[in-house]
Amino acid sequence: MNLEHQQNICEETVYRRVFNETSKTIFNYIYYKFGNEEKANDAVQEAFVKLWENCAKVSPDKAKSYLYTVANNLYLNVLKAEKVRLKYADKTLKTTNESPEFIMEEAEFKEKLDNALNSLPENQRITFLLNRIDGKKYAEIAKMENVSVKAIEKRMHLALKSLRERIDGI
Amino acid sequence: MQENYLAKWLTDELTEAEMVEFKKSEDFATYQKIKESASILEGPKFDIDKAWSSLEQTKSKEQPKVFTLTPFKAFIRIAAVIAVLLAGSFFYLSTLNESFTTEYAENKTITLPDTSEVILNAESKLTFSEKQWDDNRNVNLEGEAYFKVAKGKKFTVATAQGLVTVLGTQFNVENRKDYLEVTCFEGLVSVTINGKETKLSAGNSLLAINGKRTMSKATVNGKPSWLTKESSFRSIPLHFVMDELQRQFNIKIITKNIDKGQLYTGSFSNENLELALKSISVPLQIKFNLDGDKVLFYDEKAH
Repeated sequence: MNLEHQQNICEETVYRRVFNETSKTIFNYIYYKFGNEEKANDAVQEAFVKLWENCAKVSPDKAKSYLYTVANNLYLNVLKAEKVRLKYADKTLKTTNESPEFIMEEAEFKEKLDNALNSLPENQRITFLLNRIDGKKYAEIAKMENVSVKAIEKRMHLALKSLRERIDGI
Repeated sequence: MQENYLAKWLTDELTEAEMVEFKKSEDFATYQKIKESASILEGPKFDIDKAWSSLEQTKSKEQPKVFTLTPFKAFIRIAAVIAVLLAGSFFYLSTLNESFTTEYAENKTITLPDTSEVILNAESKLTFSEKQWDDNRNVNLEGEAYFKVAKGKKFTVATAQGLVTVLGTQFNVENRKDYLEVTCFEGLVSVTINGKETKLSAGNSLLAINGKRTMSKATVNGKPSWLTKESSFRSIPLHFVMDELQRQFNIKIITKNIDKGQLYTGSFSNENLELALKSISVPLQIKFNLDGDKVLFYDEKAH
């Protein structure tokens, strides 16, 4: 039975579930776009408040795309993108038997990648990071961005291409 | 190579042949490195619990549907809080109750907005809301008062012990600790104690001590005796009588070898203390000793 999906967002448990599933992605989505943590947090708040206010009108299966749309429209033409700051997880530090030269090269590469990511057009950067960091499938990103899966694949392809070109210094 | 092969490569969707060809290309090494490095990338920390609790706060405040996305947002939030506080305090102040209090040995006559008259006996307090008077004639009473209620809507006297409801009549309510006495002089009065309603017609009196009710008769079209400067009692435990004596004369009573639970019937003057003390002591065959504002009641025979 599909009854659960027929539930209303106005119900606290349904609303809470949507929040748990979607809030972090919205936060990241806005962060990748503008590089502004505060605005990303605000976007989560605004999007979910709007969803609560319109809970009777938005069906649970439309909730996610509704949230992305609200978050997306929030700073439309208002906010200037800042540098997106990303961290590298500590995983790499575990391999300590690498030569100093190698470690330095690694660090250099990461810096290059960082700069390359920041120079990407925002839609390519969002696609790349949502897929690589958040593990979102192309189809999911397509829904968020309201474009076709093919368009997302194109963005991904272009993102990788220009990342490599930047890193290799072409 | 198929279209967007880089995107396909990331998700392992390349055919084996394509993979072999891609690996041969000189760019492959960098792509591979990008893929590896990106796999350990992390975004900023998102505190989901904090986000949820601040969302809960906003939700409960029922914010307006329009969100102004301007640098003034913080200012508007503060302004909204101030506006709410101002409106709230205005509302609160405007609904504050009118309050009248009498001290020991003091009576007060109060005229209510509908010309109903209330006479407050000593050490009593009457409060009512003038703003809401037109909607409901409610007064709160602590102590004793005589009501002459103008005809009109339901008139309710709320006390700690119970509710007294009338339409238009004359009645007396005495509400002291563990003690509620309602006497109806004219019309019909309804008394609700612990949810149980009793109807009192003119000339009846209801006494509830610790919730235990007794009915007795009173004079039709009469007035409570305290209005004529006299306190009357009919089979009332002595300690309630002494409490009333203390209120009327602003004195302190101490007792020695006296059963304060014994019943007293009679009345005492509210003007002449000497006389009042005699009115109590003679019928009960006890003695008293008056010293300034202190009175000692004692029983000689018990010695």
